[in-house]
Amino acid sequence: MNRPTSTPPIKNLELKVGVLLVSTVLLAAGFVLYSLYARGAFHRTQSLTLIAPEAEGVSIGMPMTFSGFPIGEVKRMELGEDGKVRLEIAIPTKDARWLRENSVFTLEKSLVGGAKIKAHTANLADKPLAAGAARTLITGDATQEIPVLIERVKTILNNVADMTGKESHINQTLANIQNVTGRMTGEYGVMEGVLGGPEKAHQVVAALEKANTLLASLNGVSLKVDGVLAKTDSRVFGPEGVMDQAHQSIAKVNGILGDARESLKKADALLANAQSASADLPKITGNVRAATADMTQLRTEIDDSVRKVNHLINEMNKKWPFAREVEITTP
Amino acid sequence: MAFVTHFFIRRGAAFLTTWRIWRDTLLFAGRAVLTACAPTAYNSATRTVVMKQIYFTAWQILPGFTLFAALLSYVLIQIVVTTAAKFGLSDYALEVTMRLLVLELLPLITALFVALRSSSAINTEIALMKINGEIEALESACVDTMRLEFMPRVIGGMISVLALTAVTSVLALVLAYLAVYGWQTWSLPDFSRVMGKVFDNAVLFGILLKSLTFGLAVTVIPVAEGMATPRKLFMAPISVLRGMVRLFFALMLIEVASLAFKYI
Repeated sequence: MNRPTSTPPIKNLELKVGVLLVSTVLLAAGFVLYSLYARGAFHRTQSLTLIAPEAEGVSIGMPMTFSGFPIGEVKRMELGEDGKVRLEIAIPTKDARWLRENSVFTLEKSLVGGAKIKAHTANLADKPLAAGAARTLITGDATQEIPVLIERVKTILNNVADMTGKESHINQTLANIQNVTGRMTGEYGVMEGVLGGPEKAHQVVAALEKANTLLASLNGVSLKVDGVLAKTDSRVFGPEGVMDQAHQSIAKVNGILGDARESLKKADALLANAQSASADLPKITGNVRAATADMTQLRTEIDDSVRKVNHLINEMNKKWPFAREVEITTP
Repeated sequence: MAFVTHFFIRRGAAFLTTWRIWRDTLLFAGRAVLTACAPTAYNSATRTVVMKQIYFTAWQILPGFTLFAALLSYVLIQIVVTTAAKFGLSDYALEVTMRLLVLELLPLITALFVALRSSSAINTEIALMKINGEIEALESACVDTMRLEFMPRVIGGMISVLALTAVTSVLALVLAYLAVYGWQTWSLPDFSRVMGKVFDNAVLFGILLKSLTFGLAVTVIPVAEGMATPRKLFMAPISVLRGMVRLFFALMLIEVASLAFKYI
């Protein structure tokens, strides 16, 4: 070696390199041992088989958590003969106390991040879960419903798009409303909006004015009618009115009818007499003169009665405006 | 036509040169490893060279590099942890940090640091020895240059890269724990779980292999490039430049290969 050896000798070269080498070896060995420990090479585990309908998102080494803390991990997974997935979970013996006979295991998937196997124990006082036990893994997947949801949302969005499109009914309605409200700002306000133009509104206003005038004149007419009615009332129902007189006439008719009945009774008696008289005609003949005298008297009475009735009817006709030609005649 | 022929000849020659250099480098690496495996290759002289190499490559830069690596690691850990928290993926922050720093970034940065500091020096030294005819002189004096000069540097370089990677990685893990869990020890089981998840046997073996390959590259390429320097003084800087570029290329190739092996 005839190289220039001008570099000064290094102090404690062996020691320094030794320290570096030893620390490197220690670090490397410690690192390897720690990673072995971390992988569970030095602690005993018990296995738990979870049976799931499907294991999408599950991978070897995936942790199983209890209350958010990992207490085990997936060691092996295989598809069973029945088409179900069998996941073998290795649980360190010291963490197995969290699992009981009644523990429930769920596989949860979220939109972001991987799936999660969770253990739930309702009662920690139950019997501990036996090593090598098999349980069903309940899968709940929020993402599975998303396609259906999206399909529905799409339909809704399409409807909304149709509703909000340029040619949509809503837009047309809004345009119409705008049209109407625009007209409402005109001289005749809402009426113009409703009727469609100022001319028509003007016509309505004119019609209303006419109706007002008409009502005013009708008011006058009704006042007059009122007066007429009051007069009619006093004439018809008042003292000395038509009704009063009619009442009196009816009383008279009653009296006349009573007279007529009396006369007819007498006629009845007369006819009875006539019958008995016809029995012994001679006797009758004898008394004809007297009977004839009686008959004359009767005839006078009946005529008198009929005359009274006629008079009454005439009287009534005079007072009753809707009179007919009525006359009672005697045969 | 002559131009096309000339073009092809030039391209072909350039390719052959590159091919030859890479082939020589690989052959040299093979010979160096074979020599290192033979117990008879080691004597006090060899050991001294190895120790010196380790001293210059690892020990001297240890404080500065460790500080730099700690700073870089801490900043990256904070970025990952904060970003993961923002996206609600804090569960994965530690794992991402470990994979990013310990598996990928720190070995590569260590190799690059060693390359910049020691590989350039080795390349210059060997190139100058070659230009000055020292190599030939040693060989004519029946000195086994491979055993006494090159192999110890390769061994020293590899050990240095391994040592620096180990120190910075462990430091990064401690920093990651502190950044994620804070100053307390109750979360050690959780940390261990993530550790166990990330560092399985294949990954551990992968880190070791990658670090060794990086160590081999940062020493073999500059030595091979220095040995290939034509005996002209002005070629020394060119030799160093070429060696550094090839080394960088080789390091990136190793990193990409390891990534592809791991994730594809």
